Amino acid sequence: MPEPAFLEERRARALEAYEAEPVPTWRRSGFWTTSLRRLELDALEPRRYDAVDQLPQIVREHLGDEEHSGLIVQRGASIIYAHCDDPSVTVTPLEQAVEEHPELVEPWLGKRLPVDEGKFAAANAAFWTGGAFINVPKETRLEKPIQVVYLIDEPGTAQYAHTLAVIGEHAECRIREYCLAPPIDGQALHAGAFELYAAAGAQVQLAHYQDWGPGEVHDVSVKRVEVARDARVKWVPVHLGGHLTKQTLDIVTAEPGSDMRHSGLYFTERDEHLDLFTTDKHEAGHTTGDTVWKGALTGESRASYEGLIHIVPHAQETHTYLQTHQMLLSQKAKGDAIPSLIVEVDNVSASHGGTVGELDEEQIFYMQTRGIPRAEAVRVLVEGYFEEVVQRLDDPGLEALVRRRIAEKLAAAEEQVREFIGERA
Amino acid sequence: MSLEIQNLHVRIGEREILRGVDLKVERGQTHALMGPNGSGKSTLANTLMGNPNYEVTEGKILLDGEDLTEAAPDERARAGLFLAFQYPATIPGVSVANFLRMAVNARREENIKVKEFGQILGKHMELLKIERAFTSRYLNEGFSGGEKKRAEILQLAMLAPDFAVLDETDSGLDIDALRIVSDGVNAMRGDERGFLIITHYTRILSYVKPEFVHIMLDGRIVRQGGSELADELEEKGYEFVREEVAARA
Ligand SMILES: Nc1ncnc2c1ncn2[C@@H]1O[C@H](COP(=O)(O)OP(=O)(O)OP(=O)(O)O)[C@@H](O)[C@H]1O
Ligand SMILES: [Mg+2]
Repeated sequence: MPEPAFLEERRARALEAYEAEPVPTWRRSGFWTTSLRRLELDALEPRRYDAVDQLPQIVREHLGDEEHSGLIVQRGASIIYAHCDDPSVTVTPLEQAVEEHPELVEPWLGKRLPVDEGKFAAANAAFWTGGAFINVPKETRLEKPIQVVYLIDEPGTAQYAHTLAVIGEHAECRIREYCLAPPIDGQALHAGAFELYAAAGAQVQLAHYQDWGPGEVHDVSVKRVEVARDARVKWVPVHLGGHLTKQTLDIVTAEPGSDMRHSGLYFTERDEHLDLFTTDKHEAGHTTGDTVWKGALTGESRASYEGLIHIVPHAQETHTYLQTHQMLLSQKAKGDAIPSLIVEVDNVSASHGGTVGELDEEQIFYMQTRGIPRAEAVRVLVEGYFEEVVQRLDDPGLEALVRRRIAEKLAAAEEQVREFIGERA
Repeated sequence: MSLEIQNLHVRIGEREILRGVDLKVERGQTHALMGPNGSGKSTLANTLMGNPNYEVTEGKILLDGEDLTEAAPDERARAGLFLAFQYPATIPGVSVANFLRMAVNARREENIKVKEFGQILGKHMELLKIERAFTSRYLNEGFSGGEKKRAEILQLAMLAPDFAVLDETDSGLDIDALRIVSDGVNAMRGDERGFLIITHYTRILSYVKPEFVHIMLDGRIVRQGGSELADELEEKGYEFVREEVAARA
């Protein structure tokens, strides 16, 4: 069955943009460069798989046995599992939604994701398969979460993922998107697109959980969230693993009264490379924002976080702030955390702050004076540092998962952290 | 059985702050240490706990005869030393209750049972008139000056050390809180425990009566006496001690 005209046309435009664009290298002033030089793009392919009844083990481990309103699992290029028995909502593969409900999809698909925003955005728009479509009609309140999983489990995979979520007026829901991979031996690509539109008065708790494991998964993605009048979105992206990640995460308060809380965390290790650029964009007045991002680095990893607050002209009476912190836990890790501000209007309050630092010796000493050994003090302090963001997940199961992974990463890095911290004592 | 400080010399960077301190606190005794700002009282307290910023260049710290001069701070704590800080650190993301549990467990072979811990904590909180909600807050984060001091004393009560140094625990407490904290300290006094109370004010000393008072000046203890020395000091100020020391020299 051919795809609807609007989609064919979009793919065609995207393909043109894709072919015109070189593989980019992202540079910033200072030491920072993100390059895909090592990625052998031509050797990757969108692998196909059959649907399954039993979820793959890694998926089960991450989801636990909590009930859901809807669940979509994409492995490589194929949806292998789609389940939704809640008649009040639509949670289906995007490719299926395009056929069955084009009228629901067309007004939103790519609304804030132009096809010519770079090579990988174009690739995604041209080549996406599978995908997830979430439609929560107005005034629907969901108790159970909606979950989308993107799984890569074989080297050589190219995954072009697209999640579109449309949350109706005064609807309330929780959405979690997972990006998972077991250890794979070789390269893979996840070029993802995520868009969420929260209509007037909607309340959304959104989490992204990324753990691509120790394999060579490259993640180049764009995630964008739009918050309409009096709606509220709480968004917590969590980055716990990925060989190379280059992501753009934007949240737009688009109409008066809209409010967002945006809090993220990352923990990089080994030779991982993480490059995040977030924008809190205030397109209307009387909007509020609150952003906190925290990271920790071990091994020889590199992590760069840049967070921009952008308040456009006419967005009077906007109140927003952004803080970002980064903690170095090894001699060879290197990173930066840069808050920035574009304010094109008076009569707003916008503040920002950023720190890159190491563990505070005074805190370690204090804990030791209570009998707590140094190594344990360090562990507790790092876990405590992340706690502010972890709690913003507001989701006990996911919080426990994130805490456990942080503890595992710290345990794995214990030697080097001890060496690093010990050296300064 | 004592905490003994022998000829202690301490420097921070290039500067010698303590210049030969001798002090012995026996179990069962309460000592007060007074002295003007910058004379080295907190330096002594921090050095007792092994703060890595302070370098001991000479002298010894002995706890019941055991030399702790080189021991790590956590070893000293487990050996029975405690310091209620003048300016305690903030521990983000760790609740008062969790922190206390960790500290209690650090000195036990087996972890304390949840119920037992809850009971002990409840008892001490009642004694110190601390509200339940307090223990779920992150330790010292956003605490008022007085709340920080109370959190220190709550830790003191929970950990029941052999020797406790209180560094200006009375500063920043209102009159009622000072009374409560003093009562808490008095309840802990006994033959098995020694206290060193660092203060600028005689008010706390009228609640927690010390047997001995020491005056520190420029990194040395220059005068010692009974509790009447504190009153004399309050009346005459430090200038008179200074003059006396100068006359002696
Ligand atoms: N970490 C440090 N780095 C540099 N100098 C320090 C440090 N700690 C203390 N000092 C200096 O050592 C001297 C003694 O300070 P200390 O804090 O021990 O005094 P104190 O007697 O406790 O004073 P106060 O009554 O004001 O609490 C002061 O001159 C102080 O500036
Ligand atoms: Mg002091």
